[in-house]
Amino acid sequence: MRGRALIAVVCTAALLGWPWLTEDKFLHHVGVLICITAIAAASLHLIIRTGHVSLGHAAFMALGAYGSVLVMTRLGLPWPAGLAAGTAAAAALAAAVGPIVLRLAGKYFVLVTFLFGEVVRMAIVENAWLTGGSNGIFDVPPPYPALLSNRAYYYLALGFAVFGVGLCARLLACEYGRAINSIRESERLAECSGVPVNRVKVTVFIIACALAGMAGALQAHFIRYVGPESFSVVQSLNLVVMNVIGGMTSLPGALLGTVFMVTLPELLRGYVNVQQILFGAILFATMAFIPGGLIEVLRRIRGSLPGARPKEADVADAVRGL
Amino acid sequence: MLNITILGQVVVNGISLSAIYILVALGFTLLFGIMRVVNFAHGEFAMLGAFALYYLMKDAQLPWLVALPVGVVGVAAASMALEWLVFRWFYQRMFESMIGLLGLSMMLMFGGVLVWDVYERNMPAISDEVLSLGDVILPVDRLVVVVIAVAALAGFYLFIRHTRAGLAMRATAQDVEIAETQGVDTRRTYRTAFFVAILLAALAGALWGQIYAVSPFLGERPLMMAFIVVILGGMGSIPGAALGGLILGLTESFVGTFYGAAASAFLSFGVVIVLLIVRPWGILGTPEA
Amino acid sequence: MQQQLRSAALAAALMLGAAAAAPAQDIVKIGGIGPLSGGGTAWGLAAQRGMELAIEDLNAAGGVKAAGRAYRLELIMYDDQYTGQGGKGAAERLVNQDKVKFIIGPVGSPPALGVISVTNPAKVIALTDGYAPQILKNDTPDPYNFRIYNTNIEFGPPLIKWLKDNVPAIRKVALLAPNDAVGQSVAGPLSEDYRKQGFETTVDLFERGTKEFTPLILRMMAQKVDAFEFDGNAPGDAGLMLKQIRQAGFRGHVHQIGGPAIDEIMEIAGPAAEGFMSYDIFDWDTPAGGRLRAQYEKKYGKGIINAFMPAFYHAVFLLCESIRRADTLDTNKVRAALETTGGYDAGIYGPINWVGKESYGVNRQLMLPYYWSQVKGGKIVKLAKFNP
Repeated sequence: MRGRALIAVVCTAALLGWPWLTEDKFLHHVGVLICITAIAAASLHLIIRTGHVSLGHAAFMALGAYGSVLVMTRLGLPWPAGLAAGTAAAAALAAAVGPIVLRLAGKYFVLVTFLFGEVVRMAIVENAWLTGGSNGIFDVPPPYPALLSNRAYYYLALGFAVFGVGLCARLLACEYGRAINSIRESERLAECSGVPVNRVKVTVFIIACALAGMAGALQAHFIRYVGPESFSVVQSLNLVVMNVIGGMTSLPGALLGTVFMVTLPELLRGYVNVQQILFGAILFATMAFIPGGLIEVLRRIRGSLPGARPKEADVADAVRGL
Repeated sequence: MLNITILGQVVVNGISLSAIYILVALGFTLLFGIMRVVNFAHGEFAMLGAFALYYLMKDAQLPWLVALPVGVVGVAAASMALEWLVFRWFYQRMFESMIGLLGLSMMLMFGGVLVWDVYERNMPAISDEVLSLGDVILPVDRLVVVVIAVAALAGFYLFIRHTRAGLAMRATAQDVEIAETQGVDTRRTYRTAFFVAILLAALAGALWGQIYAVSPFLGERPLMMAFIVVILGGMGSIPGAALGGLILGLTESFVGTFYGAAASAFLSFGVVIVLLIVRPWGILGTPEA
Repeated sequence: MQQQLRSAALAAALMLGAAAAAPAQDIVKIGGIGPLSGGGTAWGLAAQRGMELAIEDLNAAGGVKAAGRAYRLELIMYDDQYTGQGGKGAAERLVNQDKVKFIIGPVGSPPALGVISVTNPAKVIALTDGYAPQILKNDTPDPYNFRIYNTNIEFGPPLIKWLKDNVPAIRKVALLAPNDAVGQSVAGPLSEDYRKQGFETTVDLFERGTKEFTPLILRMMAQKVDAFEFDGNAPGDAGLMLKQIRQAGFRGHVHQIGGPAIDEIMEIAGPAAEGFMSYDIFDWDTPAGGRLRAQYEKKYGKGIINAFMPAFYHAVFLLCESIRRADTLDTNKVRAALETTGGYDAGIYGPINWVGKESYGVNRQLMLPYYWSQVKGGKIVKLAKFNP
């Protein structure tokens, strides 16, 4: 137990302290992106744990982003109102479509969410009077003037990330989480055991999409620009890739995948002309040879460490339970 | 606006669009139906087919009638190397295949950019002639595309229904384990299915490149359309792919002509979404147990 | 004997060491941003190549000189993926990690807006492209960004007037445009410009990625238009449109106030391109043009050259001329010098001008000479020239 507490303290200190170790605003920028994307990826993980993979998650980020920006710029309300509006808009849309699309089995759900994401994007493009169309809305105000600095925004994003990811972890670890797991294993069986399958799935879907909306709003006020090309199927696919590459069965997997997918393009930037080819090769190799995801690699490493056996067992169990 | 000339053109355009969509969708649905693989790189094989035809006609100076089969079969044969290197890791693994093949798609597309540069190239048209039936104008090259697509579809249907290899493929698609116990060599069946699927994709790409233009990004639109066609018709259903392609091509043509492009896009997507909700196995697919 | 050998070796080592320790040449890093993936790759590569060729030429001529020192130029090129966050990320990295003071690019409006939100507070000079007026017209108190390519706001009205005076048969114009950032920026204002000069217009926007334009073309033809206008369309799409327009039997005028992409359109449309008119910006037939083409082909192979390539080539020369005039790398002074380069001729486009006060409030829009060209007998013929 002492060991785990120590790790927790070290991690917390690292997360809070590293921005002061460097003045490089670009690194702060990457830190912000990782926090924001972690919220989106973790919330998608919630949906995946119910057995449904959504290829339209970025559409809910779009709702959060545009909702917040429009409330702040058109209605002149302060940022908390914008954030609430964006999150509420995403939740509302999820509540409207969730009951309908969650009835569909795995592969059909993937397809319908993909199409749905495209419809949302096209709706944004077509309604330029509201959304600025393909050219988007620029000069989006920051939440507060002090947050114009990347480092300051990092702490805001970190706070929300802790909240969002923590919420997901809590949900998965408690009684609700067992219901979610049972639904993924077998819906019929869960239904027979008294689990209100549809209610659980829809609730999880609404919470997850609301979190995605929150992430979208945070992103919009950070980049200070919203445009439909930021919420296309490419972004939705990236979120799915993060989950699959990190490890679909565990929340830490989603976080690992997030860090991987946000930092890898930056590492490859130097290889200007071949960076896409390298990225593709890495995606392929990871999927082909590490099917359990990157978290599997970590587990194997931890398993092979000498003297780690007893603690390894219950840590692994806890992780698996997440 | 409704007169016979326009109507005729709308129908012809719709059918030629449908023809190409069907070819792409067929290969895609084959790979999914039999190997449960979502081939995100399918468009890139179409792109390779187009480049093969382009270079065979331009550099090797082969006439079109020779270049087309040689190019298309060549691409399919060369792709067997990719089958061995890449695809066989993903059979029966849907999610891993989606992302692994997305990686392959990026490698092929940007490899193409490195080798062939980005600009769009023109292929010498099959024919510049135009058939005039009264007031209706029918470009000959579109008609040829339709004829070839229909021939390919017919040939494919015969193959699937009337050969042992086709029977093995259908068995594997239904249930891989039982097919194996019945003596089907799944490895060989997979390879055959792969070859046929890529053959169809390369053919679609070559024809697409002929009507439009050739570039390393050629595959993106056909892939998107294949996706929708397959959803419409039912994943793994061949008549479904044909019907889905026909519906999509004609809808795009009709609605686009009379109501504009935005309406056409919204309508196509809207219809497919409704279909997925109401009848997810597609028009001609079979509901899963 | 051994003693002599050893001292000879020592002397040689010392000399080599002295040579190696000779002062490394000072480097000025130029940041490049453009779409190197996705649908905009053609423009990103054009930007990269134009800049690479310019830097080669300038370095061969001794680099750029300021305050008595000669600097070698180096390009750091990053992908912006044509999104706002891509542009911001690339700019953040260039400004904060690579510590560049001069950025050229990006090509599109969404990334450009992302870039200037980083470069303006950091006092980094950005020579961007992108059609959105907000790139130049905004509330930034002290902007350091300029636009290095003509936009339809500048060249639209004069070209339309020329059409009105010289091709009176055109009364109703159909504008086809994609639904993306460029299409939505250009089609509306251009249509307005046509109407202000007495034309009738009809506009249709399509989903980017479409290759089959015949439904739209038939729709327009049914409305009895006299001419098709390709405005901000991509080269490949414009070529296909022209081909399909002629296949549909349309005999009227087809032109493009935008692009330009005449080479690629001719390549794709083949004989159907005969008679096509277009806004044109670079004269490949001059000695400078021919030399640039030879240089490009030697490095990147024979192929169609995207019209943006010379613009980025030219931008590097413009930047270096400003550094030379300011005689320092300090961005405040270089910015002031940039504003004085009206009339400067880098030998590529001819004399340039800075305009834009009425439209944007600042004269930060580069104006290059441009032409109306037409495809006649398989060749590009210049019909009229417009000076900035």
